[in-house]
Amino acid sequence: MQLRDYVIRRLLVLPFLIIGVSMIVFALTRVGGSPIGIYLSHEMTPAQVAEIEARFHLDKSLPVQYFYWARGVLQGDFGWSGVSVAPVAEVFPKKLAATLELSVASGIVAVVMGLWLGTYAGARRNRPADHITRVVAVTGASMPNFWLAILLLIIFWAQLGWMPIGRSTPEIIALVPTRTGLYTIDALLAGNLVAFGDALWHLILPAITLGYGATAIIARMMRSALVEELQLDYVDAARAKGLPERLVLKKHARRNALIPTVTVIGLTFGFLLQGTVSVEIIFRWPGIGKWMADSVLRGDQATLMTYVLFTSIVFLVLNLIVDVIYANLDRRVELGK
Amino acid sequence: MLDMTNRPSGLANSPATIASVRDLTVHFPSKRGMVHAVDRVSFEIRDGETLGLVGETGCGKSVTGRSFLQLLPIPPGILAQGTVTFHPHARCGACAGTGCDACNSTGRRPAACPSCTGAGCAQCNGSGAETVELLRLPEDRIRRIRGDRIAMIFQDPGKALNPTLTIGDQLSEVFLQHRTEELLDAAGIGPEDRGLAARLLGRLASQRNGSIDNLLLSLPPLRGKRNLLLDALRNNVAAALAETQIANPYQIIDRYPHELSGGMRQRVMIAQALACNPDLLIADEPTTALDVTVQARILELIKDLQKRRQTSVLYISHDLSLVRRICDRVAVMYAGRVVEIGRTDRIFRNPSHPYTRGLLHAVPTAATKRGQLMAIKGTVPELVDPPPSCRFVGRCPHEKALCRSKNPELAQISDEHSVSCFIHDAAGAADAPSFDEKTQ
Repeated sequence: MQLRDYVIRRLLVLPFLIIGVSMIVFALTRVGGSPIGIYLSHEMTPAQVAEIEARFHLDKSLPVQYFYWARGVLQGDFGWSGVSVAPVAEVFPKKLAATLELSVASGIVAVVMGLWLGTYAGARRNRPADHITRVVAVTGASMPNFWLAILLLIIFWAQLGWMPIGRSTPEIIALVPTRTGLYTIDALLAGNLVAFGDALWHLILPAITLGYGATAIIARMMRSALVEELQLDYVDAARAKGLPERLVLKKHARRNALIPTVTVIGLTFGFLLQGTVSVEIIFRWPGIGKWMADSVLRGDQATLMTYVLFTSIVFLVLNLIVDVIYANLDRRVELGK
Repeated sequence: MLDMTNRPSGLANSPATIASVRDLTVHFPSKRGMVHAVDRVSFEIRDGETLGLVGETGCGKSVTGRSFLQLLPIPPGILAQGTVTFHPHARCGACAGTGCDACNSTGRRPAACPSCTGAGCAQCNGSGAETVELLRLPEDRIRRIRGDRIAMIFQDPGKALNPTLTIGDQLSEVFLQHRTEELLDAAGIGPEDRGLAARLLGRLASQRNGSIDNLLLSLPPLRGKRNLLLDALRNNVAAALAETQIANPYQIIDRYPHELSGGMRQRVMIAQALACNPDLLIADEPTTALDVTVQARILELIKDLQKRRQTSVLYISHDLSLVRRICDRVAVMYAGRVVEIGRTDRIFRNPSHPYTRGLLHAVPTAATKRGQLMAIKGTVPELVDPPPSCRFVGRCPHEKALCRSKNPELAQISDEHSVSCFIHDAAGAADAPSFDEKTQ
């Protein structure tokens, strides 16, 4: 089956999966209580409450409520965010940009560092370099990121005062016009290097915190896959052709070792998104993770549902991307069979 | 057999051997002690001959074969002692490698010793031929020999080809590593060119190109030359594939190994090994992983190519009947040692080591009646810190006390036939074992 056909087929199935996910999400959220709970007060009469319920179609059955919600979503109306006191659709892009900046930065840290460390260790199996990377990786994989976040904050923010907290210095970023919502990119587009430095400086600690765990997992996977590949016959055959060790590693063994690693990388990106919740809370990063946590605590259902809907779409798309990369790396994979 | 008296070369005293192994000893440390995988193995490969290296699994034949290319797992393995000397050939000057009368249409001639340019000196033992010691050659020099002067075919072509690269990609690498100048020449770049185009194409033609190189080379001013180079590369690859009787080489180039049959894959491996017209081919059980019918055709192919190009072959196998069909001489290995070596007809007509005899008796023929097939009793000894005895002790039907206390050296028993067994040791007299006397 052609790769293109496969992608088209998967894209056609995608909307149905999203509808299914949204139904589950809607039902589960409604079980948690009335969506207007946070707007009600004790002084209201039952008649007033009934009137509000009728306005938001809460007097109808659950499927009908879902229909009204889904219609709103399709029209770009995600409801009212009680936490932000603004329409969800208006706040969401800004929050998403903040989270995107953080997760992409940590994703880059994780993939670059993970693949490099894994290759470095795998090619030097059982030598000191391998043992050191193993320690680094096991630490990363076993340390919860909220703990690492607090540790880094205590050292670099509270004690040494080297690193800032939050997303940016408000006075500096105020001078930069918003184009993409990603502060580093906006600053670069505006040619404002001071703002870029500031944005990057704020980004480093949370990105390392968030990326460390994923770095560790990717590095371990890459290392073991590479060690396995290096024992196969084709590696010796490549050497027997007269290839320098550098090419044997880069062109032959690493390419094959990437196949299992790519799956792990795809999964890790999902976890990065999950990890943003605690990291954003601790670093006071104004992204969707922190927003979601606030809305759970306040019972803000419109915000919560938007978050869950968005995350599930991200997971579905990530899976598709991983499958495509996979097929590109390993020509034996026949997609759709 | 090759006529050794009329060898075409301008050297003082051109050697009749292409490579010789002396006292090769490889150890592997294990939890229980040192495993003597290869123990003082010595033999030589004559120029243009096919030497069979037979023995059962674990007797050290593959380790011996791999040592020619420094492909031994060292560490953990330890090269305890020994040398592997090799006389590389160079391209024939008269015909530029296409084959002429001067080089016996092989396209190759023995390379001259760099210190005396062929006159004969102490460094080349008076032969005038270039002599290299393969085991101790530095990485960058052994790399230039691998795949160019000495090539190797592996046992399972399904495993020895990279599953994620096309056949063309994999075969190209041989040319990119060893035929860089020719490829540049095809693109119109001479050796004295120093411009940007020459530098970028030079990096492409020696696999040192990065993604920026590729981008620059894909843009108009350089694109044409790059395409010339890539076309030359593709033609070289197709020609190498056609050599192995692959009918549609240009269609195979873009295929992946899993899309080909086992026999086709082995043809690709052979094409890859012979792409640079090597002097010596190490064939490590090249037909073991194939069907019997395919096996026969691959064997014919190797035999045919060997005859046409006069390539010396070290044919490693456990299959006696196969070795008998293809080899000029045979070396029998047992438990890390060469126990018998000689011309194929002598070994098979007159096997003179008890192990070789046992092996030949264990091969069923059409005449063998039910229950008549002989087996060698016992199992192969463990090679962990072995005693200084003959390795066949405990399984040999003729063994004496002498065999248990001392190791017999390889000694010539007749013209072109050497055996390591006290049976042929005239000096042993009373204590010596004999084929006539069964002691066990």
